[in-house]
Amino acid sequence: MSREQGAGIRNQESVDGGRPSAAARRPSLIGASPQRIEGREKVTGAATYVDDMQFGPNLLHGALKRSPVAHALIKRIDVSRAKALPGVRVIITGEDFPGYTGLYLSDRRIFALDRVRFVGEPVAAVAADTPEIAAHALELIDVAYEPQPCVFDPEFGASPEAPLLHPELGDYACQPFILPQAGTNISNWFKVRKGDMAQGWAEADLVYEHKYRVPHIQHVPMETHVCVAQQDVNARITLWSSSQSPFAQRNLIAKALHISHSKLRVITPHVGGGFGSKAGVSIEGAAVGLAMHAKGRPVKLRMTREEEFYTTFVRQGLVAHIKMGMTRDGRITAVQNRFYWDGGAYTEYGVNITRAAGYSGTGPYFVPNIHVDSYCVYTNHPIGGAMRGFGMPEIHWGIEQHIDQMAHQLGLDPMQVRLTNCLKDGQETLTGMVMHPTGLSQCIQKAADAIGWGKPSAPSGAHKRRGKGLAAMWKAPAMPPNPGSSATLRMNEDGTATVSIGGVDIGQGALTAMAQLAAEGLGVKIADVRVNTVDTDFSPYEWQTVASRLTWSMGNAVLQAAENARRQILQTVAEAWHEHIDDLDIIDGQVVSYTTEESRPLRDIVIYGMQRPDGTWIGGPVVGQGHFMPEYVTPLDPETGQGPRAVVHFTTGCQAVEVEVDDETGEVQVLKIVSAYDVGRAINPDMVRTQMEGGAVQGMSTALLEGIIFDSTGVPRNPNFTDYRIATAVDAPLETENIIVEVPQDDGPFGARGVGEHPMVPTAPAIANAVYHAVGVRVDCMPITSEKVWAALAGEPAV
Amino acid sequence: MQPFDYVVPKSHAEASALLVEGAGIVRPLMGGTDLLIRMRGGFVRPERVIDLKGLPGMCDIRPGEQGWLVVGAACTMNQVALHPLVQQHYDLLAQACNAVASYQLRNRATVGGNICNASPAADTAPALYCLDALLEICGPGGARRAPIAEFFLGPGKTALRPGEFLTAIHLPPAPTDACGVFSKLGRTKIGDISMVSAAVLVDYGLPIADFGFTETRTSHTRQSTIRHVRITLGAVGPTPLRATEAEAALALDPSPEGVKRAADLAAAAARPIDDIRASAAYRRAMVAVLVRRGIEAALAPSSSVLRPASAGGAA
Amino acid sequence: MSHTIALTVNGERYRLDVAAHHTLLQVLREQLVLTGTKNGCEAGECGACAVLITWPGAERAEPVNSCMVLAPEADGAEIVTIEGLIHDDQLDPLQQAFLATGATQCGFCTPGIVVNARALLDRNPDPTETEIREALVGNLCRCTGYIRIIEAVKMAARVGREVVG
Ligand SMILES: Cc1cc2nc3c(=O)[nH]c(=O)nc-3n(C[C@H](O)[C@H](O)[C@H](O)COP(=O)(O)OP(=O)(O)OC[C@H]3O[C@@H](n4cnc5c(N)ncnc54)[C@H](O)[C@@H]3O)c2cc1C
Ligand code: FES
Ligand code: FES
Repeated sequence: MSREQGAGIRNQESVDGGRPSAAARRPSLIGASPQRIEGREKVTGAATYVDDMQFGPNLLHGALKRSPVAHALIKRIDVSRAKALPGVRVIITGEDFPGYTGLYLSDRRIFALDRVRFVGEPVAAVAADTPEIAAHALELIDVAYEPQPCVFDPEFGASPEAPLLHPELGDYACQPFILPQAGTNISNWFKVRKGDMAQGWAEADLVYEHKYRVPHIQHVPMETHVCVAQQDVNARITLWSSSQSPFAQRNLIAKALHISHSKLRVITPHVGGGFGSKAGVSIEGAAVGLAMHAKGRPVKLRMTREEEFYTTFVRQGLVAHIKMGMTRDGRITAVQNRFYWDGGAYTEYGVNITRAAGYSGTGPYFVPNIHVDSYCVYTNHPIGGAMRGFGMPEIHWGIEQHIDQMAHQLGLDPMQVRLTNCLKDGQETLTGMVMHPTGLSQCIQKAADAIGWGKPSAPSGAHKRRGKGLAAMWKAPAMPPNPGSSATLRMNEDGTATVSIGGVDIGQGALTAMAQLAAEGLGVKIADVRVNTVDTDFSPYEWQTVASRLTWSMGNAVLQAAENARRQILQTVAEAWHEHIDDLDIIDGQVVSYTTEESRPLRDIVIYGMQRPDGTWIGGPVVGQGHFMPEYVTPLDPETGQGPRAVVHFTTGCQAVEVEVDDETGEVQVLKIVSAYDVGRAINPDMVRTQMEGGAVQGMSTALLEGIIFDSTGVPRNPNFTDYRIATAVDAPLETENIIVEVPQDDGPFGARGVGEHPMVPTAPAIANAVYHAVGVRVDCMPITSEKVWAALAGEPAV
Repeated sequence: MQPFDYVVPKSHAEASALLVEGAGIVRPLMGGTDLLIRMRGGFVRPERVIDLKGLPGMCDIRPGEQGWLVVGAACTMNQVALHPLVQQHYDLLAQACNAVASYQLRNRATVGGNICNASPAADTAPALYCLDALLEICGPGGARRAPIAEFFLGPGKTALRPGEFLTAIHLPPAPTDACGVFSKLGRTKIGDISMVSAAVLVDYGLPIADFGFTETRTSHTRQSTIRHVRITLGAVGPTPLRATEAEAALALDPSPEGVKRAADLAAAAARPIDDIRASAAYRRAMVAVLVRRGIEAALAPSSSVLRPASAGGAA
Repeated sequence: MSHTIALTVNGERYRLDVAAHHTLLQVLREQLVLTGTKNGCEAGECGACAVLITWPGAERAEPVNSCMVLAPEADGAEIVTIEGLIHDDQLDPLQQAFLATGATQCGFCTPGIVVNARALLDRNPDPTETEIREALVGNLCRCTGYIRIIEAVKMAARVGREVVG
């Protein structure tokens, strides 16, 4: 990060050369909750998403031919009949694009070439005049498969008996912090070794071991994946893409197709939800591939809801073995965890999720003796992508139930056990990093208070039983050590500002938060700031919209760009007016002098400059720029996982829930969810609360309802809303309470850190703990269906 | 969807002729909420879709002869559920219609389509079984009527013969003091396809309703004799199932123990299977719960309440 | 297999040639370029495609998932889409309430929910919270968790009552 100006905590009381700083003199926009700046477009239906863009009658409709089998060698692909169909314009297969791609580990191709590894894997693509012709053409493509043995269980997959799914693993290019195990199905193995396990077990009064399972989850953005690609006469390609990572898409596709980055342009208008699924590259490579052969016609590729469920990305499944030692008074002495990630056929984000799970593998607790193995295992399931929480909801599902269970066994209050063990400022995390100031204890305490911890409440009727549960969490932005952000702020003739960023507002409110930061940094009203959606030809670089990093990282860049522009403006004015720059300020779009009380609107300064007394001019068009990149993350030892700084920071929090369980049907009604998170500083508190609320309900939905169901041959059986149910307005909790805790982040803008993903991390185990409290049933395999609760209550075999 | 043509017949005879002539390549259409899904998924690929909604009477609800009520097959769920005569005399059916999907889907989904689709989980079927509905069927040879229990043959299979289609549902006169409860259990709280459903109708044998007459239920105690009981289960067999032994047991003994016994007999009558929505064991166990709660709600002294406080999803 | 239909959309009358196998959703989005109505599933499950329809002869506009209506079936219908809820640049009270309560995030579900909630308030100006939740059960939203949406409908109902009362 550039430390000259820009980032860092801005203290309102700070004193600058004896004068109160500018920020102290005007009401702050930070901590205010202006409405969403693109809200009017969204509530009127005017907001444009990719599928809303018009490309005229020349538009071709793409479709993907997919593997019907989970694992097979491709013996032959015959496209001749499809090619002969009138209206079919392009057909491409793996032979057209044999190169490997992948974000962290290059293990896949745009189309399967010699082998398919999951049901739904693309083997060919068609572009045709109508969607109906494209669909018909797919049926005419003839592919001969030779079935191979499959791997559907990650624990089995990691064993030596399992058939090898990627014999080429040792040859794949990968990032240095990913550790594939050639000759196995393990695409990454992250280890933590710390302390003395024997001593840890010896000190414990109770050692408890249990296995927890999490199924594959689908993100379910309401807008499915969609993109349009078009090549122009100079062989430049434009990709309009519903994406969380326009720059990463440009990078990966350019590399995979061996074209120059400058020849690929990615435009991302509004995005109808992502939750991680639209990070990285899924269908976009195929669209670009089709466009390269489409003689200048645009090609649209849009996923049906069915395709969305299993052919883009899914949240990986997890089998977690958790073993923990605890003293009689509730102190954790040792943790030994093994995480088997069902990474699917290719890894994309999976390898890094495995790593994140490893370096977060104790949960947010101080533990002296630690042994963690986190394995990313190839299976013949859909590709594991990033999803809100990036591995944390999955590992906390086990960890947070485990702690609860041990507390109950020891007769302790699970809330107190968490307070005892939760990481405090200055304690060492499992990887040896010193924990920065954190409000975790506060979050636990506040969540417990708000739910009425320890106070029973009366059920609503016969056969109803109530219970309360809570779960704590932590999560760091999981990313390479050096992901960068940049921003520009350009002044317009009328004194308004246009901010360009490379991060995407996928609903979380990034545009609004950036407008607030820019307005605050520059000294204008929010209404006078426009923030652009992304066009890689015009927007400055941003790594990706993932890891809850935009407010923190891109926010720093935007603030710096605004302050940079402000400084340029004030320098001009200072020179023109012969004043000291520190006596000048910009308030609501006016430059004011604290000494002369003179003022001048920005519109008279920022483009044409200012006239000196002698009639000459200074200044000119103002363009501010800013950038941010963490420069302090260190590598970790591959054998022990130890290193001074594994991550940039951890956001921590806690959720408490109250449920009512029907003890005859097993139905769980969530009555209330309290969320408390330490966000460092809430730039827009109301939007922070909406993130908490939305995340909590998404977490609740996964906890109670969700999971992709595969048949014994790896075919998904519920790729639709009829049988992959998500929570509706009726299922949503009757009440939510959202508590903001603010322990500032030293390098966040105004102390902010991210909170987009965190609200769904502890929800599922908190609900599981509440169900246990209500009826004494522990569901260790997500989701907590009515049937599972009933089965446990009725003493039926587990389902 | 792959291309097809759309035809609107003007008369019953024309509709029937179209169905006969296009055997194998035509499909009747009403609300389309089942048909469109199946066509989009490629499970059925008709070349022609015959929209029957516009035929005379298909969308009407009207009093029939001798106190019967005639519900046109293409009446939407909302239309039926909100109709005053249905609400007054066949509340059980109104409850079942309201338990289907969502409000906006119920503006498309029809009761007739629900029956013709013949899903074992069809939510209006258990109510119609309990109400002893007669189905009016039009075909090449004219019209005929069949009891609903003879119409359902298996999942997706009906007693319709080539060229035949459903035109109306006839409901026999409703006793004014019948109390019905429909309940269903889905994965989400409401709007899901039923994992299990149950309709219970208890009739105290009071005089027959007269549609010109608005008074509904006179106050009297529920301890008077039960004239008859109907219990029908959904989603726990290849067709909706009448639990006749449970019905008989309850008619004999409406005490709390009798209710429990009836519920257990209903569970025993179920023939559930395992599928992705639920296991057979869970379904069977839930039959007992839904039926018991349904009966309890129907027998509750104050019950003009026709909705159980909580018996799964339908509440 | 093409049919000529006449329909009114947001007060404008159209004569269109439509394909039998297209849905009303496709006609609105592709032929009339009214793209506020969204496609979230094409299976009647998500409600993103909801529009208000007054069928020929009907008294009242009712919400319907436009992906569940074949194009030729819309002949003679009067349709209001999300674009039709704005009058003289004035937002519908529901739209205002969605902004005020923060009931939209990614915004993809929003048009369908606003349209469906409009229909709810038209038939029931004073709905209980349970009625609001049940009326919206066919509108999936993955972002907001619904709480703000419910709040927005309550707020709009209050505003509506004040205007009337
Ligand atoms: C999102 C969603 C949720 C749903 N939820 C539920 C639910 O909760 N409960 C439930 O029971 N159902 C549910 N369904 C299924 C469906 O909505 C109902 O079965 C509905 O009642 C079908 O009626 P329809 O008019 O739409 O039928 P259509 O789709 O028009 O027809 C259904 C079938 O019957 C045939 N057919 C139509 N009319 C006739 C006729 N007159 N004579 C002979 N055959 C005919 C058609 O060819 C088709 O095969 C749901 C469907 C969807 C899409
Ligand atoms: S698109 Fe019509 S309901 Fe989802
Ligand atoms: S706001 Fe994104 S789906 Fe509702």
